[in-house]
Order: sequence, then structure tokens, then C-alpha cells
Amino acid sequence: MLNDETRRQIDSLIASDRVVLFMKGNRSQPQCGFSATVVQILGELVPEFTTVDVLADPAIRDGIKAYSSWPTIPQLYVGGEFVGGCDIVREMYGSGELYEKLGAEKPALVVPVLHVSDAAAKFLGDAAARAGQQLHMRIDNAFQTKAYLGPVEAGEIAAEASGLTFHFDRASAARADGLRIDYVETPHGHDLAIENPNAPPAVHAMDAPSLKALMDSGRAYHLFDVRTPEERATASIPQAKLLDPPTLAAAEKLPKDALIVLHCHHGGRSAQAAEHFRQLGFRNVHNLVGGIDAWSQLVDSSVPRY
Amino acid sequence: MVLKIIGAEDGVAERIEAAIRGAIPDAQVQVKAGGAAHFELQVVAEAFRGKSMVQQHQLVYGAIAELMAGGAPPVHAIDRLVTKAP
Repeated sequence: MLNDETRRQIDSLIASDRVVLFMKGNRSQPQCGFSATVVQILGELVPEFTTVDVLADPAIRDGIKAYSSWPTIPQLYVGGEFVGGCDIVREMYGSGELYEKLGAEKPALVVPVLHVSDAAAKFLGDAAARAGQQLHMRIDNAFQTKAYLGPVEAGEIAAEASGLTFHFDRASAARADGLRIDYVETPHGHDLAIENPNAPPAVHAMDAPSLKALMDSGRAYHLFDVRTPEERATASIPQAKLLDPPTLAAAEKLPKDALIVLHCHHGGRSAQAAEHFRQLGFRNVHNLVGGIDAWSQLVDSSVPRY
Repeated sequence: MVLKIIGAEDGVAERIEAAIRGAIPDAQVQVKAGGAAHFELQVVAEAFRGKSMVQQHQLVYGAIAELMAGGAPPVHAIDRLVTKAP
């Protein structure tokens, strides 16, 4: 069931990169929950890795199972060696073993200090007791936080607060120190409200006169235009650089405290781009309110409106 | 030893056991059927000594690969696999 041609093809795929993941879908669009979990964990630990979409090639999809003697997808290879599937990757991530395997820097071992309000403690404690399960919290590298119930996994770190025990994987624990958890009324009913002092601050709004003042101040800043080249040909702010793919790649490597301002036509597209930078850990990200349209109305009327 | 068969095609548990014993002759195999074509396995074998959990699982999965291959294989999923040396 594994012919020589497929075997050679898999050999060369595995040799093509240090970290190779056979999965359903690709890194930005995983087509199954198990593949998505592994992509997310790898993304936290290594900046670059290769994915092979088994859905695109039935020969590879069947072949990799025979090749690895492993019946399920995803399958992770590191340095040419089979590591395992989703369960094993999750377990190794939880225990910290995966950091060593990938040569990634292990987060410090932190038992986080948590501040849990009485209302939140009652809500979470009742839910855990009803299910007969343990409380866990997971904080991903974009500081998206999820509370869930389940059995304790190997390598998890336990933190006590308000009479409850919360379990964290190692990376989440390091991101959780100082976490505040409350249970509040929202327009959609009651929900947990979580405040994390370690999360990068929200994107700041910058109005056009403030951008002008920043330009005149002599302070260092990076102004990026996220519009299309056609729009830029129609009207542009000369100090702004078009955020094309090479510029984006360079911008993502700037120091995390760099002052970054993004603009588009009216402020919508640049708000999304600003959120992207914030999620990468940039702490000083600004969105030009009203975009180039506000700039031409409030600062420089020589810039045409369109 | 075949513990129980619920909703599984006749004889599949025996085929799993035979395939594993064919590849790992001294293996003690317990097969427990779950839902349709879902199974749980426990395998104890001297051959596992000194091997990592992944390598132990690879030996078992390699042995039953043919039962899991194709469009509608007799074995769709192994929900739980426990391996150990005696």
C-alpha cells in the first residue's frame, strides 16, 4: 500500500524542513480540529515550519499512515524523526518536552497569582462540581483566554485562588500571572470578564492632527499604508510606506515597542491590520482615525479625497 | 482474549488479535469493541521493553495497518491503545 514513488516523495518532504507537519488543510486554514490544535501549538514554539496538506493528495494521505505506522492525521516530524499525533504533541507541550524537541526556549516555570471575584469563584466552582471535573485555563500567544473543564494533564501547573484550583499548561501559566477573573452582567447575559496585565495593550486611536504633531516632533515612528497600490496612486501621505508583503515581513521583525501607525482610506482596514500587529505582541500600535480622508480634511488639503 | 463485541463486524476483533500476534509473537492482546468499527486495545509484549510509547504504538499500528486501510475498513478507529512490557 506504500509504493516506492510515494515513499521517496514522503522521504523528501520530511527532509525538506526541520519541522514538517502532515495535516488536513494548511497553517492558516486547518480542516480538522486535531490539525488545528497542533498548528496552534507549533506556531507558539517555532516561527517557521512546513505543512503538507494530505487532503490534496490521496497517495500521501494513505502513504503517510503506512510510512509512519500511524493510523491518524496529523503527524509531526522533527529532524526527520516521527514525533506523534495530536494527543502526543499536546502531552509533550503540557510537560515542556516539546520545547526541548523543537529547540524552543521554555517559558519560565511560574505559579501564577490569580485574583478571582466571589461571583466568578461561585460560577466556576459550581460548574466544576456539577461536571465532576477540574478547572483549566488556556491563554494562547495572542492572549485569547479560554476556561474549560477536564481531567488534569501531565505537566500542568496548579494555582489556587478563592478556594478553587486552576490548572494551566506551562506557557499559559507564565502568561496568567496577575490575571483578574470576574463574573459580570453583559447585554448577552452573565459572562466571565478576564483582565490580563500581561496582554499587549489595545490598539490606540490616533487622530490626524496628532499624527501631524508626531511627524513634527522628530520622534521615531513607522507609518504604514494598508491600501491597494491603485488607491495609493490616487492619494497618499508621503511619509507612509505601502504595506506590501515584503514591507509587512520587515515590519513584523521590528522591536515590539516600536511606534507603529497604520492608515487606510477611512480607518476600517487599518484597524484590522493594527489588531494583527497587537496580536503579534506589539505594544505601541496606533490606528489613524478616519484614514487618509480625515488627513486631507484636517491636516493637508492638497491630498485629494476620493 | 476477546472481551466483548458490540456493533462490530463478526470476527474483526479476532483478526486484530491475530494480526498483532503475527507481528509481535509473544504479545498478550486484549481487544474491546466500542461503537461500530471502533476498538480499544491493550497489548503486553516483551518487544516493547526499552522502546518509547510512540515506538510501542507504531509496532501495534503497523501490525494492523491493513485492517485500517481503504475506503470502508473493518477497523475505523482505535479509541484507546495501552501498551506495556510485561
